Amino acid sequence: MLKISQLRANVVGRNILKGVDLEIGAGEVHAIMGPNGSGKSTLVQVLAGREDYEITGGSVSFDGADLLAMPPEERARAGLFLGFQYPVEIPGVNNAYLLKAALNAKRKAAGLAEVDAYEFLSLIKAKMKFMGMDESFLSRGVNEGFSGGEKKRNEILQMLVLEPRLALLDETDSGLDIDALKVVAKGVNSLRAAERSIVLVTHYQRLLDYVEPDRVHVFADGRILKSGDKTLAHELEARGYDWLREERVA
Amino acid sequence: MSAARDKDAALRSFEAAWHARPGDGIAATRAEAMRRFLALGLPSPRDESWRHTNLRALAGRPFADAEPATPMRASWLAGICAAPIAIVNGRPLPAAPARTDDPALSIESLRASIDRDPASLAARLGSIGETESERWALLNRALFVDGLHVRVTGRVAAPLLIVHSAETARDDAAVHSRVIVDVAAGAQATIVEHHLGGDGHATLVNHTTQLHLAPGASAEHYRVFSSDAHTTHFDALEITQAADSRCRQFTIALGGALLRANLSGRLDAAGAEHDSYSLLVGHGARQVDCVNAIVHAASRTTSRQTARALAAGTSRVVFNSRVRVEAGTAGAQSNQSCRGLLLSPTAEIDTRPQLEILADDVKCAHGATTGRLDPNMLFYLLARGIDRAAAQTLLIYAFLDDLLTGMSIPGARHAIEEALIAELPGADLLRAYR
Ligand SMILES: Nc1ncnc2c1ncn2[C@@H]1O[C@H](COP(=O)(O)OP(=O)(O)O)[C@@H](O)[C@H]1O
Ligand SMILES: [Mg+2]
Repeated sequence: MLKISQLRANVVGRNILKGVDLEIGAGEVHAIMGPNGSGKSTLVQVLAGREDYEITGGSVSFDGADLLAMPPEERARAGLFLGFQYPVEIPGVNNAYLLKAALNAKRKAAGLAEVDAYEFLSLIKAKMKFMGMDESFLSRGVNEGFSGGEKKRNEILQMLVLEPRLALLDETDSGLDIDALKVVAKGVNSLRAAERSIVLVTHYQRLLDYVEPDRVHVFADGRILKSGDKTLAHELEARGYDWLREERVA
Repeated sequence: MSAARDKDAALRSFEAAWHARPGDGIAATRAEAMRRFLALGLPSPRDESWRHTNLRALAGRPFADAEPATPMRASWLAGICAAPIAIVNGRPLPAAPARTDDPALSIESLRASIDRDPASLAARLGSIGETESERWALLNRALFVDGLHVRVTGRVAAPLLIVHSAETARDDAAVHSRVIVDVAAGAQATIVEHHLGGDGHATLVNHTTQLHLAPGASAEHYRVFSSDAHTTHFDALEITQAADSRCRQFTIALGGALLRANLSGRLDAAGAEHDSYSLLVGHGARQVDCVNAIVHAASRTTSRQTARALAAGTSRVVFNSRVRVEAGTAGAQSNQSCRGLLLSPTAEIDTRPQLEILADDVKCAHGATTGRLDPNMLFYLLARGIDRAAAQTLLIYAFLDDLLTGMSIPGARHAIEEALIAELPGADLLRAYR
């Protein structure tokens, strides 16, 4: 589904991604773990099409298409979803409206008619109930005045409504208490399917107790250092990241 | 080539128009105003409040009074009022409008008001201001041909729409008109003035509105400018407020080549509250220059100003607001929020909130920011699959949210949004949004 080869990128002139190689098959859940500042968010934002990040090398194919050649809105309509580490507050843009416009944009790209207003409302209410969100969120501005946990739930809500083929969730678990974490995990698990892939960027092993990954990658200094199965996550939790760097130097 | 241009042609033509006018019952105050106007001349960039707007080109053009005409167009705000009043080239149509359906509302032409009781009307025009920024209002006092005198004596539920249009086939037409609105103690009204027309001609419109709120009165006043891209418009709005009165004012600038809109508000007695909202849209090569001056002349008075400026193309939008709290007052509160959004690299926005506080016990706040669309917000919307043009429009709309939600007549808000949206990209999506 997604194949990243030797991806390199600069942020404000500084080289952050230094040759990322990663392949994700349909139906797989991958976890990317790594220290703060190693470039995990840069990677997922580059994949989503953030324009002020400069790509200096490599390629990414998504369902066989050249992902890097597509503008961000097309990537989203093609089924790529980024759950932001820091969801943006947009006062004055209504939350329900954003959900509906996003869904309609995707439907339009797929040649489908706009969603019926009544159907949309019942769909969204059901998903909100599932996510333990109050309906009053619908009439508020996008993420406006939401707590950290509410913002993360809102990202998952958007994901559930959009049903992406590839979800990139950037630290959706950080800053959540254990109950909120379980809700987010429930949301992610509900989306697991044979035709869908999920990438969880996290630096705690905690989330992985609830969402079991097929593969775990250690990301450090702008590239993937080591990949393994879920036991790698436990090892990282116990030993930290430093042993990996030493192993690599040795 | 024509002969050397007369750089004072406009001034001379106004003087000629003055001499050609038949006298009326307020000739004395008109003469005084004209004398003062001629002595001061047109504003120049040396005048502090005209730094941003250069009138040199205008000063070199002679103008002639626009002739009486009949209206050629309907206002897109017509839906809010069953019986709008048309003022064409400064003259109400029919010449003596009357609305009898609401006993709390009486309307006569200013001409009739002058003829009936010239002394009262001269007094209502007020003493002649000293400051330079009132020069167009001075000229207006000397030359206004007609207009309306509206008296509100009770609660008037339906909004009153006044449609000012300039209908002319000439390039040198000048329209001088005035509207006076008096809201009696405890009375309430909504008055909407819509300025439109121009039709590709370089018309000059010089309009003044005076609005007085007696004790406990409340009013919502709109002035909406949507003249065509050749019109030069000078508009002065003078608001005086007595004890416990409430005024909500909306200035909506959507049209014209050059619009200078002054608002001067005086809070003359305790408990007076004033809210003004300015929606200033610049595109093409338009210039919008808005100057607000609010004076807190009594204790426990409140003013809030909300300005949102948008500038695209090579347009320039200026918003100056000054709040003055007089000595000897206590408990005045004021807030000024000015925000600008630049939509093109060649557009310009200048906002300047100013405070002049001569009292000790006050609560005043002001803020001014100007920027471009937030790239993080834009990326968030794009990452959800929203079209770029639509995303930009949504963010513009969001930027205007505080202002649009302040409008309490749904029909006016809807029509104004429609007119605004027509000027922005992604119009269809925005329509669906509302
Ligand atoms: N917008 C930005 N401007 C400047 N530096 C940035 C920006 N975004 C990220 N960086 C830098 O890029 C590096 C990688 O950051 P990031 O991708 O957020 O790491 P991670 O998500 O792994 O914590 C860091 O050194 C960070 O300071
Ligand atoms: Mg990060």
